[in-house]
Amino acid sequence: MILLDFARKKGSATSRSKANDRLQTVLAHDRIGTSSGIMEQMKKEVIQVIRKHIDTEEPEVNLTSRGRQSVLDINIPLKGR
Amino acid sequence: MKEPSNGGQVVVITSGKGGVGKTTTVTNVSMGLAQLGCKVVAMDLDIGLKKLDLIMGLENRVIYDIVQVLEGECTLRQALVKDRRFPNLFMLPAAQTRNKDDINEEQIKNLCAEMKKDFDFILIDCPAGIERGFRNSIAAADWAVVVTNPEVSAVRDADRIIGMLESSQFKDIKLVINRIRPEMVRGGDMLSIDDLLNHLCIDLIGIVPEDDGVVISTNTGEPIILNQRSMAGRAFYNIARRFNNEEVPFLDLNHTGSLWDRIREFFSKQVG
Repeated sequence: MILLDFARKKGSATSRSKANDRLQTVLAHDRIGTSSGIMEQMKKEVIQVIRKHIDTEEPEVNLTSRGRQSVLDINIPLKGR
Repeated sequence: MKEPSNGGQVVVITSGKGGVGKTTTVTNVSMGLAQLGCKVVAMDLDIGLKKLDLIMGLENRVIYDIVQVLEGECTLRQALVKDRRFPNLFMLPAAQTRNKDDINEEQIKNLCAEMKKDFDFILIDCPAGIERGFRNSIAAADWAVVVTNPEVSAVRDADRIIGMLESSQFKDIKLVINRIRPEMVRGGDMLSIDDLLNHLCIDLIGIVPEDDGVVISTNTGEPIILNQRSMAGRAFYNIARRFNNEEVPFLDLNHTGSLWDRIREFFSKQVG
């Protein structure tokens, strides 16, 4: 049994870590009343606005939590000349 | 929190999701507080779906219910059901044939104000959901306990309830984690205490391990806290002591799963 536990931990992600990842996302959305589908749409709109002025790579848009506060994390690498 | 000079404290036990152990928590913590010498009322606000009388094993003593008290058909004293085991423990039953709209927040506030004069603790068994019954249940509460299970849907609902309590100006919200299975946490197949605290960001007041004895105790109407040899019974007793402002250490369930940890756990007398 102990060996089995050990083998599992070494292997792929546990169901516990999957539960934590899923909760992280769903709680961040629940707290501000959005759905994860909105993120894709917003990502497109954000990049449209930025690209009017400067050249960018693909942005990373993530909703995470800091304490009980949802935080929108936008990371946009800019293209060099 | 917990100002004895103000008379009693009203505590709402809530969860969002049904079936996580609210009624079991109300029953056992009320009984634990009675064992500690407090004068306690356990109040069922799940109008239309009552269960507190059954879980406490007092269903045969019910004559009146809370709606009859609020409508003036009987007095509060007549409706309070005295516990068989502890003379300082009472239960106020819900009405089974009425619904949540038959009572309102103002009535609950008045009723609790009256009971606070005579009792140290008034524990409210809140219905599942976020509608009228929840609103009625939190209206008079001084602080709140959120019960959850280490399972994604229960945690999600708990988070929603905590958000609603916070927007209703609750400053003191405590968490009970019920039905945890340490061996599954160690095996990587169940959310841990720390996982839940990281997601929900509120203070812990109790950890209750999964215990088959709970099913047996609901069958017989003898709450698990009466069996101090059971893990869950001891865990509920510890929660009652924390309600009563005692510092009681929590069991550390975050073992690595090594043989030594298992031996240590086996001999450990502390429970959450």
